[in-house]
Amino acid sequence: MNTPIGPINPGHPPEIQALPQTGISEILGLVELLKSKGGKEDIYKLAAELKMELGDTLAVIRGAELLGLVHTPGGDVVIEPIGEKISRSRINARKNLLREQIEKLPVFHALISFLKEKDDHQATRDQLLEKLAELIPNENSEQTFTTLVTWGRYAELFGYNDDSQTFYLDSGK
Amino acid sequence: MQSEPVLFELRHVAHRFPLPQGELTVLKDICFSAKEGEFIAIVGPSGAGKSTILRLISGLIHPTEGMILFKGQPLSGINLETALVFQNFALLPWLTVAENVELGLEARGMDIAMRRRKVAFYIDKVGLDGYEEAYPRELSGGMKQRVGLARALAVEPEILLMDEPFSSLDALTSINLRDELLDIWSDRDFPVNTVVMVTHMIEEAIELADRVLVLSSRPGHIVGDMLIDLPRPRDKREKVFSEYVDKIFSLIA
Repeated sequence: MNTPIGPINPGHPPEIQALPQTGISEILGLVELLKSKGGKEDIYKLAAELKMELGDTLAVIRGAELLGLVHTPGGDVVIEPIGEKISRSRINARKNLLREQIEKLPVFHALISFLKEKDDHQATRDQLLEKLAELIPNENSEQTFTTLVTWGRYAELFGYNDDSQTFYLDSGK
Repeated sequence: MQSEPVLFELRHVAHRFPLPQGELTVLKDICFSAKEGEFIAIVGPSGAGKSTILRLISGLIHPTEGMILFKGQPLSGINLETALVFQNFALLPWLTVAENVELGLEARGMDIAMRRRKVAFYIDKVGLDGYEEAYPRELSGGMKQRVGLARALAVEPEILLMDEPFSSLDALTSINLRDELLDIWSDRDFPVNTVVMVTHMIEEAIELADRVLVLSSRPGHIVGDMLIDLPRPRDKREKVFSEYVDKIFSLIA
């Protein structure tokens, strides 16, 4: 929350960041709510109005910010044009728009290249957790993994089979 | 909307449960009809028999008194033209998303090729592409309810029944799902366009429905039947919106 990500500078290798534990529905709900409020709200007021834990609310805002849908100047959360566009779109159009945002995240880039080097473009859960620990040291890899699976499935970039614990590039894309 | 034919009708319906001493009257003299394409919300306090009305429409239970007509014919037995979305999703934990969606189709004797097509179509419609092989335990509440919705839509019922579909979800998720439900319902190419939704949240009813039936409790009876004449998407901050809220609130209180 304290480090707004800002635009990615093409001159420097983008910093790979941990993903907050939050789902797609919450993020979509946030941009829809912001749109209905004229695009801007105080973060603490928002958490109180939603009757959600502040920590959970912050995770949703952090997720939306990573995806470029909102920014957080001071104690406010403000919708970005792409967030506004997503809030106005229908189910499948918003899925496409959000996929484009998810694809831009450096951690997705890193894992797509990692999987492409693997046989069958897949890795076990343990291999992936190891890779995440290497990419994002000092962060909870399990949490990032959970969000990667959720966002990756939604964007149809990654698939995950929990029976075989295999993580793979989604060829459906 | 006015010219649409009546899809179903409840005529002087009462429902009572036997108790050790006497009986409990859950619903008393319920009369209303629904037109094709209508989105009806039923609001009222808990214990007003809201869910019982949904179960009566689905034919899972039968009225003690009065009758239910579906397309002009008295309903006897289960109405296969209805499907229910539950508050707690009611997914089978050992089945994947795709298998859960397929569940209702198998029961209706559809062949496998057709089943797979319907499953793919409705998974896409609710935005669940990519989650086909996930298990319910891997899903957030919002995604679980999308599965519940896809499963209900997949049988292409003439009436979609929803029992407090958003009350188990956090506030942001329910904002998102309400929005997407309207998106689906307003898609006129869709075979499913008559909805009856039960909720205890007045604002939710006004935000979504064409018409709100207000129930009072013990025994449940209709105290109001209100058309919501507002364009969508509806803004809770508008004066007309809060006037509807006040009106319904005063009927219940």
